[in-house]
Amino acid sequence: MKHALQIFAFTILVSAFYWYVSLWVPQKRTEPPEDIAIAADLSTEEMVAIGEEIVAGKGTCLTCHTMGESGTGLRFPDIGIIGAIAGTRIEGMSDAEYLAESLYDPNAYVLEGFVAGMPAVSKPPVALSDDEILTVVAYLQSLGGIPTVTMETEFEWQGQSVQAPEAASATAVAEGGNRDAETLFTSYLCNTCHTLDGAPGVGPSLAGIGTRMNRAQLYESLMDPDAEITEGFVAGLMTATLNATGFQSQVSAQELQTLVDYLAEL
Amino acid sequence: MYYTGAEPGNGAHGKDMRERVLPQDGLLCNKRLTMYDTMKLFRADICTSLSRILLSADSQQRFMPFPRRVVLLRTLVVGFLVLLVAAITGELALGAPQEAATDGDYRTLPFVNSRVVMWVVAELHLMFAAFVLAVPMFAIVIEYIGYKTGDKRFDELAHDFTKLLSVSFSFTASLGALLTFLLIVLYPALTQYLVKIFSWTFLPYVLLFFLEAIFLYSYYYGWGKFSPRVHLFLGVMLNIVGTAIMFIANAWLTFMNTPNGIDELGNLTSVWDAINNYIWMPINIHRLIANMAFGGAIGAAYGAYKFLGARTLEEKAHYDWMGYIGNFIAICALLPLPFAGYWLGVEIYAYDQSLGITLMGGTFSWLFIIQAVLIGNLFLAANYYLWLSMGRIAGAERYRRFIKYLLAVITLCFIVWATPHSLVATVEEARAMGGSHHPILNVLGVMSAKNTAVNLLILTTYISFLLYRRSNKVATVSWAKWGNLVQFGIFAAVVIIVVFLGVWGYFVDAQTRIGLSRPQVLLVLFAMVSVTVIDIFLFRGAEKKGEIAWGKIPARAQYALFFLAITFAWLMGLMGYVRAGMRQHWHVYGVLRDTSVDAFTPTLGFAGLIVSITVIIFFLFIAIVFFLSGLSGQKKWVPKSERGDGVAASADTDSNLAIS
Repeated sequence: MKHALQIFAFTILVSAFYWYVSLWVPQKRTEPPEDIAIAADLSTEEMVAIGEEIVAGKGTCLTCHTMGESGTGLRFPDIGIIGAIAGTRIEGMSDAEYLAESLYDPNAYVLEGFVAGMPAVSKPPVALSDDEILTVVAYLQSLGGIPTVTMETEFEWQGQSVQAPEAASATAVAEGGNRDAETLFTSYLCNTCHTLDGAPGVGPSLAGIGTRMNRAQLYESLMDPDAEITEGFVAGLMTATLNATGFQSQVSAQELQTLVDYLAEL
Repeated sequence: MYYTGAEPGNGAHGKDMRERVLPQDGLLCNKRLTMYDTMKLFRADICTSLSRILLSADSQQRFMPFPRRVVLLRTLVVGFLVLLVAAITGELALGAPQEAATDGDYRTLPFVNSRVVMWVVAELHLMFAAFVLAVPMFAIVIEYIGYKTGDKRFDELAHDFTKLLSVSFSFTASLGALLTFLLIVLYPALTQYLVKIFSWTFLPYVLLFFLEAIFLYSYYYGWGKFSPRVHLFLGVMLNIVGTAIMFIANAWLTFMNTPNGIDELGNLTSVWDAINNYIWMPINIHRLIANMAFGGAIGAAYGAYKFLGARTLEEKAHYDWMGYIGNFIAICALLPLPFAGYWLGVEIYAYDQSLGITLMGGTFSWLFIIQAVLIGNLFLAANYYLWLSMGRIAGAERYRRFIKYLLAVITLCFIVWATPHSLVATVEEARAMGGSHHPILNVLGVMSAKNTAVNLLILTTYISFLLYRRSNKVATVSWAKWGNLVQFGIFAAVVIIVVFLGVWGYFVDAQTRIGLSRPQVLLVLFAMVSVTVIDIFLFRGAEKKGEIAWGKIPARAQYALFFLAITFAWLMGLMGYVRAGMRQHWHVYGVLRDTSVDAFTPTLGFAGLIVSITVIIFFLFIAIVFFLSGLSGQKKWVPKSERGDGVAASADTDSNLAIS
């Protein structure tokens, strides 16, 4: 009996140790992507903004593709300046058509040095609608180029979107889907580099950031941190950190909005 | 056939057993027996055993712990459970979808989260199922060795392992039934969809389950009653049926990750394609090997448990040997497991690259740091046990000086493997590093370094085994020096090439880098196979430096075995979590979306807590299994008036658990 108790205590101890190990690593809860309402009369700028949200969220594009990285180590094509080069990839195909084909039928043309395997985003598991894909094309065009698509633009591949059946007949609200901003701020490790009290850090202090930047700029700072660098700080650092934490591939549109609102009020 | 000194059982216990097996002609170790002699002796022993069964109440108790009606009753209970599940599932498939729809697609339980309950029950079922499927695999091999060599110790060891099966099988069936009920009650829409796809697989599954119950109980209760060949046949059938059951169940769960055989709307187009989806066969193979590792580790833990409670040197020797064999099986299975895992990973990427990236580079990338800690601990504990084991072998002191170097390599590889690509740092630390990537550790956190580390870890553990194997032997063949040199040369060449490929990986493109892991793996396999073959011939007819003193091993070695078993269980729980978790907000990836309140992927800390709770519950159940298995060898109850002394009512040597 004595040995049995000792062994049981040992089992609890070892299990508790491994639980402790699991607490060492970053703690991130991943919410399912949220649907974004797309009006039929969006302006190009609005399409770009929504497309950017989809690329970072529901589209899961940044799970594989990088933004602004180069070198031989890339497993998937970088899309940092895709808007500038898309029109040159296939002779006779415009940048918008090339991008649309890459989204609807990605394996029709595979860039040299990379392997086929990207799933069609119009089908599950990504399952973007035609309207959502239009906004993504607009955003991708904006990366180094000029967006030309509108909500009226038509592509030959449209009408193929397949939506996955849902297990629930009614949409349930994800438990904790509306996490408060402070939780988001720490769970995405923003506090690792940015302080809120004006003290110096690896990144600029966010004290009074709402008075220095409007919501659009705050949004841009989160999604494309290197677009504008505060003087005295290093470019690329925040992008690398966000890539490491998986921020851009995991943050939902609602969380992004919550964060922007929070920063705007600082 | 040889009785060699290096074989287990050359200590006091082994000698004792040999005398029992070969009493008439007094054959001792090192004496060569022909196959005919062995078979004759083995048959004679079986006949003796059978006559004891017929004549002696004590023997009858020993070979027939439960009456036949209990066997029938157990089979009937298990069969009833299976039929009940089948009936409910069939009802759901054929007549109740409308009702299910009106009840809602998800239901909840009071007080507890329904997903967590499903999670724990599913994992417990998988752990017991893994154990129940694994034990017959190595039990039959051990039994076969006993059959071929005529060494009864192997037969008894196989029986000892098999004793754990009976209760475990009942636990597995009960947990499986509970899992099915929970699935039907809490996730009716998902269940309905899976039933629609796999309805044709349920009938063979149920029939196979019946067959497994019949083969398992006849294998266990028929020990010593059937002829050895019939008994071995029953064991083979038990393994075939068990494996087939696992393959069917694997089809259901792998379909959820990499669905196949359906159209874009999720309608079934081919049952076979749904079964034979991308990761079905890799999971089948991975689970077969992992089950062996897990089953061996739990069997070793049973040996350790009995060793700690043993009162005589004979008992200690037996359970020390049992623990060693269990650990040997576990580590032998652990070594090729990363290669099976690699195949599984390749198929996941082949199905959907973004699924692979989610698994390895996105949400779950940190999970593999936890996995590295677990596997590193497995290797450390396994090596530690081997080094302690060498202490009971005369002649092993020649190799003790190498242990510190092996430990250094293992520690170094462990550190590299567990190094994350980026770090969670304080502001000051991040400022000092210039970001979340440490300037030096960042280099070690990539796959080139990790693949190299794990290959060297496997090779180092293999060397520990090799040293253990030759501890009390001196090669006497004329080419011994050259043989050793060739072995050393193979090791050195493989290590150099593996390290070179690892370093080269930093300077080539991603596709080439990924491809480099294959030659690394093949080289390590080549080294292990070729060195083993050379070693077998090298130590044929070797001179013995001394005997293995079974039972003379410190208690901390037994705790190393427990540590291995717990770590294996935790690792199994963690990888079970990631296999299901990689689907994220999908019940069936890309087909059936999870819209419940639990559609989110929890933090790794929360997952770790659930895995820990599951492991603790599992070992509580296993304690019950150990306890009940210990009772199976007890003597009959004796009325107080007939007891001569206090000893009469106590258990025999196989049931000291009951005494304590």
